[in-house]
Amino acid sequence: MKLRQSTGILLASPWIATFLIFWFFPLLYSLFLSFTDYRLLKPSYEWIGFDNYIGLFSDPAFIDSIKNTFIFVIGTIPTTTIIALLLAILIARNFTGRTLFRSAFFMPSITSMVVIALIFANLYSRGGYIYLLAKMLGIIPPDNGFLLSNKTALLSVMAMDIWMSVGYYMLLFLAGLKSIPIELYEAADVAGAGPWRKFCSITLPLLKPVTLFIIVINTIKSFQIFIEIFVMTKGKYGTSTTVYFIYESGLSRFNFGYASAAAYVLFVIIAIFSFLQFKLMRQEKIG
Amino acid sequence: MNIVKYILLCFILVIMIFPLAWMFRVSFMPANIDASFENILSGEFVLASYLDLFRSGNMFIYLFNSFFVGIIVTLGNILFCFMVGYAFSRYRFVGKDIWFYSTIFVLMLPAHVVIIPLYLMIYKAGMYDTYWALILPFLVNPIGIFLVKQYIDSLPPSMEEAARIDGAGELTILFRIVMPLCKPALAVLAIQSFMTNWNSFLFPLILTSSESVRTLPIGLALYQGHQAIDWPHLMAGSSLAVLPILVVFLFFQRHIVSGITAGAIKQ
Repeated sequence: MKLRQSTGILLASPWIATFLIFWFFPLLYSLFLSFTDYRLLKPSYEWIGFDNYIGLFSDPAFIDSIKNTFIFVIGTIPTTTIIALLLAILIARNFTGRTLFRSAFFMPSITSMVVIALIFANLYSRGGYIYLLAKMLGIIPPDNGFLLSNKTALLSVMAMDIWMSVGYYMLLFLAGLKSIPIELYEAADVAGAGPWRKFCSITLPLLKPVTLFIIVINTIKSFQIFIEIFVMTKGKYGTSTTVYFIYESGLSRFNFGYASAAAYVLFVIIAIFSFLQFKLMRQEKIG
Repeated sequence: MNIVKYILLCFILVIMIFPLAWMFRVSFMPANIDASFENILSGEFVLASYLDLFRSGNMFIYLFNSFFVGIIVTLGNILFCFMVGYAFSRYRFVGKDIWFYSTIFVLMLPAHVVIIPLYLMIYKAGMYDTYWALILPFLVNPIGIFLVKQYIDSLPPSMEEAARIDGAGELTILFRIVMPLCKPALAVLAIQSFMTNWNSFLFPLILTSSESVRTLPIGLALYQGHQAIDWPHLMAGSSLAVLPILVVFLFFQRHIVSGITAGAIKQ
């Protein structure tokens, strides 16, 4: 048995090393850095306590980035979840062409985010197809296109993100729908329940676990929105998000301590949200 | 299936595929022609942008780097996730629970917390702007470990036990007996790992700086910043970034879908 012990550790060692070196240590290192004034081209750095954190909360650029991130999270997650559920219900049953629709809806979510952002940068720009479509529908687009205006830039990025990710969550909903026993619907039919009644009393309650799971992973993902902003707006026009702020202050201005503090603030926010959602999930399972 | 539903589905279909169709179409347009409706519908198809990308520019290097890094990382994940997944499934060892929870922890951990320290560490280790920086941290990943562990959990251990009684060594059992049985799980793992790596952006962006090691997504994102935007060329490069994913998707759709839903159903 002794031999099996050491073989086990040996086999697991690639993960143990990766975890300790590339995840666990950086996590602690980052926390340490957030209490220092470490920056590039500075020979030594000092412990400055909570100064970075205090600085952040009086930095309008940081406050704005938090605000924009929250707008993004709160605006996209419910919309994405509802559209994904509707799509899943639309193609849940077998019919001719079902696979085609499923693949087409899912395709954007496995495409490179950079490519999607580049395409939409054109479509949203003055003279781009979305710009022209808006005009045709009687909506007056901003003069220089949707991405060069404080009013519409963030909303446009959000709309693109919803378009891109609904297919992915639709797949998860489809898997959830498949796991509902067909007998429940048959019993409801016998009892004379209509389609709406069946949806409210069977489908929705039984989809709760998968819905919560979707909301949890989407929350963690959405709080970290970065690529879209980097490619489409460079944080201008009221679109700077927190990870973009971290990138800017840490890796273009090389203010490592300050950026690490910002990263930890966002980390704590995400941790609180995930924790609350997990608690909700637990309650569901017990209740 | 009623007609209203079909019409609705087709309407959504158009919305979902239009942007990618537009990308492919523009990539075949001659340079300096605007992408107006008339030109898109009736204009000519030329390969000029693709030829230009391969003749000059760095797109070919980016493409090579993306394939090179993607293949190495995928091979690493097949080997290491298999080893680790097997250990978690079949062995008992000190701290096993802690190490297993650490995979879930990393899965939930927002990557942005580690970008600054990782950048500094890679820099100090002399790996900044090298292939090592793009490969070493990503050779094993939690989802891959789950996939393998779940799969081996479902296999009866009788084959391994029989081999052990026959005097086979642990390595023989691992690679000659268990690995071939795990082929379906490893296929899902390989596809998932290649696609994730192919589309990866944040880490390659912060860990490299020169053209010679840059991957395709970074090249595309920064290309836009350098030149006045030249859409046919940019979209030709984008098409090259999408094409491998599209091919993988068309051939292995079932694997991709099962890889995505495996985690969700278990919860």
